[in-house]
Amino acid sequence: MNSKNQKIIINIEGRNYPNWKIDLKNKLKTLKSNNLEIDAKNIDLSCKEISEIIEIANQFDCKIICFCSSSPKTIVSSQSLGYKSQFIIESSSKNTSDEHKKNLTFSKTHFHQGTVRSGEYLESPGDLLILGDVNPGAKVSAEGNIFIWGRLLGIAHAGSKGNSKAKISALQLSPVQLRIAKKVARGPKEKPQLGLAEQARIDSEEIIISPLETT
Amino acid sequence: MAIDTRVILICSGKGGVGKTTLTANLGISLARQGFTTAVLDADFGLRNLDLLLGLENRIVYTAQEVLEEECRLDQALVKHKQESNLSLLPAGNPRMLDWLKPDDMKRIVDMLKEQFNYVLIDCPAGVEDGFKNAMAATQEAIVVTNPEVSAVRDADRVIGLLNTNSIKPVQLVLNRVRPKMMANQEMLSIDDVTDILALPLLGLVLEDEQVIVSTNRGEPLTLNSVNSPAAKCYLNIAKRLQGEDIPLIDPAEEISGFGAKFRRLMQTKIF
Ligand SMILES: Nc1ncnc2c1ncn2[C@@H]1O[C@H](COP(=O)(O)OP(=O)(O)OP(=O)(O)O)[C@@H](O)[C@H]1O
Ligand SMILES: [Mg+2]
Repeated sequence: MNSKNQKIIINIEGRNYPNWKIDLKNKLKTLKSNNLEIDAKNIDLSCKEISEIIEIANQFDCKIICFCSSSPKTIVSSQSLGYKSQFIIESSSKNTSDEHKKNLTFSKTHFHQGTVRSGEYLESPGDLLILGDVNPGAKVSAEGNIFIWGRLLGIAHAGSKGNSKAKISALQLSPVQLRIAKKVARGPKEKPQLGLAEQARIDSEEIIISPLETT
Repeated sequence: MAIDTRVILICSGKGGVGKTTLTANLGISLARQGFTTAVLDADFGLRNLDLLLGLENRIVYTAQEVLEEECRLDQALVKHKQESNLSLLPAGNPRMLDWLKPDDMKRIVDMLKEQFNYVLIDCPAGVEDGFKNAMAATQEAIVVTNPEVSAVRDADRVIGLLNTNSIKPVQLVLNRVRPKMMANQEMLSIDDVTDILALPLLGLVLEDEQVIVSTNRGEPLTLNSVNSPAAKCYLNIAKRLQGEDIPLIDPAEEISGFGAKFRRLMQTKIF
């Protein structure tokens, strides 16, 4: 690894840990280098939380050059803010705290790099992370959540086995059709605002689309 | 095996978008640049590359007899009258579709590779056996499409199949571009198309009545009408294929007749 860059691990067991900002500040204090790689492990970070991290780093004259994480949500959030990110595929042998293990069996993330083209079909028994566009005529489906680091222009089905808590996020959501669990919605007519990651989920029996930040 | 041959598949998914016209014009252009070029008609069901090149009446043997070892390759190849660097290997009869296998296409192309700098394969429409056989024998591909939603959708499907078969590079030709319709947003824009297909754009070809005239005469545009709008596009595509850095035309500039004439004037050498 480049000796100028330092990898910082945000060590928080779950998103409710209240002191993570203090923890991060303490870590930054002891650092000499000002180019940072943030390793967020398997923690889901929203755009808002990532913005906060960036702000804290700025206070300590540090520059973040990359976010690493095994959470697709964190990857999509940091990417949508224009930061380089690296998806880490978790190996189950390491870090064997019991809680961690449980999480792993729950999310069997499938990972696809590149455009999904017309006529192609991707399926995942857990979450599905796609780095690339899902083109018109293509279909992607996951029993868990779907994260698209690109544009969704085809058909996506999250919670394909009935999980109505599943979500679909993308840098641009202009699908032909969206499905979450048993609900089906046609894509929005108007083109979405560019530069904002969006998310679709079920809210009171209806599929709604909103900017990713608010969740 | 002496020469480093480039084998290029010209395909589209959707029918009638301009594959055969591109194959014929690219063949002529490359031959004129001095490259020995073979064009192979892989559209056994609806062959018409021979017609476009005006060679129909000179066909004696076809790829079929070559494969069945009833004749040698050079007996089946039809040399073009004016461009002696260009040869056509005609398609056999449609019943070939029943027995032809990917390995047969490979055999034919391997034979052509020994003699030619370029082998251009005119692919049938669709993504079935005809396409799969042709794809088996190629290294690189040009995908032809029109600025229409259905043509782009089919091109996308074909690109996916080319990618999974590790064909590369795959480049894009956007045919039948009408600058006025594009400006009025009645047609997909160049960005709309390249955004979806995410391929390097090898060239645009303008909509041009002369294409139809030349088709009926059996003389590709690039042979005699080099000043027609589409012919220039085809010539530029041939040059870019060589790696020459030639800027793409801007459809917006092609709209006003005056602009176009003015530029032509500027390009003419006065001294
Ligand atoms: N740039 C152009 N301007 C005007 N007409 C064109 C242009 N390109 C192609 N055409 C016309 O479109 C028709 C179809 O072209 P062509 O036969 O090359 O398509 P193709 O893709 O080979 O078709 P197929 O799938 O049936 O083999 C022809 O009549 C041709 O003259
Ligand atoms: Mg044809």
